[in-house]
Amino acid sequence: MSIVDNGDDVQQLIAAGKEGLAKGRLPAGLLANPKLYDLESERVFGRCWQFLAHETEVPQAGDYVVRYLAGSSVIVVRGEDGTVRAMANSCRHRGMRLCRTEMGNTSHFRCPYHGWTYKNTGTLAGVPARDFYPNEVDKDQWSLIPVPHVENYHGLIFGCIDADAPSLADYLGDMAWYLDLMVKRSPAGLEVRGEPQRWIIDANWKLGAENFSGDAYHTMMTHRFSMEIGMLPPDPEVAKWPAHVSLSNGHGLGVLGVPPGAPLPPFMGYPQNIVEGLAAGYGDQDHVDVLRGTAFIHGTVFPNFSFLNVMLGKDIKSRPVPMLTMRVWRPLSHNTMEVWSWFFVEKDAPEEFKQESYETYVRTFGSSGTFEQDDAEVWRSITAATQGRLNGSQMLNFEMGMGFGELPDWKGPGRPLAGGYAERNQREFWGRWLDLITDPGSDSSQSVTLRTVDEAAAS
Amino acid sequence: MVATVEQELLLRSEIENFLIEEAELLDDGRFHEWLQLCTEDIHYIVPVRVSRERNNGDGNSSTMNHFDDDYAGLETRILRLDTEYAWAEDPPSRTRHFVSNVRVRPASGPDEYDVRSNILVYRNRGDSSKHDLVSGERHDRIRRSETGLKLAGRRVVLDNAVVATHNLAFFL
Repeated sequence: MSIVDNGDDVQQLIAAGKEGLAKGRLPAGLLANPKLYDLESERVFGRCWQFLAHETEVPQAGDYVVRYLAGSSVIVVRGEDGTVRAMANSCRHRGMRLCRTEMGNTSHFRCPYHGWTYKNTGTLAGVPARDFYPNEVDKDQWSLIPVPHVENYHGLIFGCIDADAPSLADYLGDMAWYLDLMVKRSPAGLEVRGEPQRWIIDANWKLGAENFSGDAYHTMMTHRFSMEIGMLPPDPEVAKWPAHVSLSNGHGLGVLGVPPGAPLPPFMGYPQNIVEGLAAGYGDQDHVDVLRGTAFIHGTVFPNFSFLNVMLGKDIKSRPVPMLTMRVWRPLSHNTMEVWSWFFVEKDAPEEFKQESYETYVRTFGSSGTFEQDDAEVWRSITAATQGRLNGSQMLNFEMGMGFGELPDWKGPGRPLAGGYAERNQREFWGRWLDLITDPGSDSSQSVTLRTVDEAAAS
Repeated sequence: MVATVEQELLLRSEIENFLIEEAELLDDGRFHEWLQLCTEDIHYIVPVRVSRERNNGDGNSSTMNHFDDDYAGLETRILRLDTEYAWAEDPPSRTRHFVSNVRVRPASGPDEYDVRSNILVYRNRGDSSKHDLVSGERHDRIRRSETGLKLAGRRVVLDNAVVATHNLAFFL
């Protein structure tokens, strides 16, 4: 790199990253680079599908929640017709934020500025003092801007602002099979308990995303306290059992096995009625077989939607109980993210289990969680420690698991490695990110929001 | 029996002293001594707060919380801090608990009080000049026992919807 700080630096880092990843190396200066933030916003978040909400957060007609998608505030609302839609949370008249709450129930959204009013389907319903307009205000033309693509995957609602996006099914690819391990575990489906926890970490969002995609390795040191006080088995390599599963499009996960001989129950310790319903929920035997010997499931749907399904005790005196959290790492700047973390449980699980699973979540991986705390400390410290010319120019080691063979007899899709400790998913996460930020795309996809508005106006 | 003004002042002073000494233990990192001030049936809870319209209540969640601990939960957090691997708080944050606006009201039990106070927690870590602030209102249940006043319940109502610190690795 040159001594003078200029745009060439970033190009050199990107080139070094692309070349280095094949050998298991990545320049540290890419992790939280302020010069790449806007590019990333446009080329990653402007193109990829992102999680918005779970359908059980908006169960009744008129229920809404406010979320963020690629930098924009959006309303996710179940209309009077029962359909869940997502639309820009911004009035077509002067851009005013329509919903200034995080959630609620309403048949209409009324703008506080001049009173333009929209149905909860997004359609313009009324404009005060309309006689003063030169023409009739066309309600189709001046309705709220819909998120161009919104799809529901077994309750998980995703949105994408790129008009040219693939379908959600194509985007998820084989990740859908693994999401099914969680979302289809019961024929009754999942429910969200309460509201998401939200908190701010002074760390780059990618550190959370890449960690969840494949980093079983950190368990032994970052979460070592849990072995010291008896919350995890004393074996520091407790999380090394396969499989580390690599998928397409930068998605990745770990489906980690119960350590041989560990006194842990099959099926992650889910209650009897859930275990009995597995085959009916999944609709096949392969998912049942994979879940039987699993202790942890962690993963990331590229770019910033992660999940963790793990069996843990809520305290040093309690038996391990499974809990499921899903979260969004929302970028706020190159060195700050907002975490949105939801707790999920099977709708038809016994109430006693739901409560215990919830308590386990709050105390281990929630905002105050004893495991979560140490992850945040590491990611914020990495963000700070990789700034500057000296630290940013070092190549980091991403070699773990290179040369490992594939795991034989694995029942799921994708590429399972014969080891839980590996960094292939992290390499592929960064590879996908590098591909996207270096792809200028077609002219149209660079002004995605503008084009959407124009199309809405023309329709 | 109606308490005299003098009795009320003495009681409030006694409880204020309890809260101030408790804050000292937290800020000094003397967590085992702090735990000794808690009853074994303590419930320690910090609800998630969301922005709602005025006619939809105060936005404190009835179902999701940042903390929801019993005695074993608090004890586990403190035992964790004793290990060499509690990275989030080793080196420790510098915290300062400011407790004010103490209001004492009789509770249902004869030896219990419902105590509300305002809490402001300052947090600073490492060599950063940046600090985090957590503001809220404590709703405490304080019980008189043979060994003095004890904390039997704490509910902290936060003044933030989005928690403005990177984790809640400290007690409020």
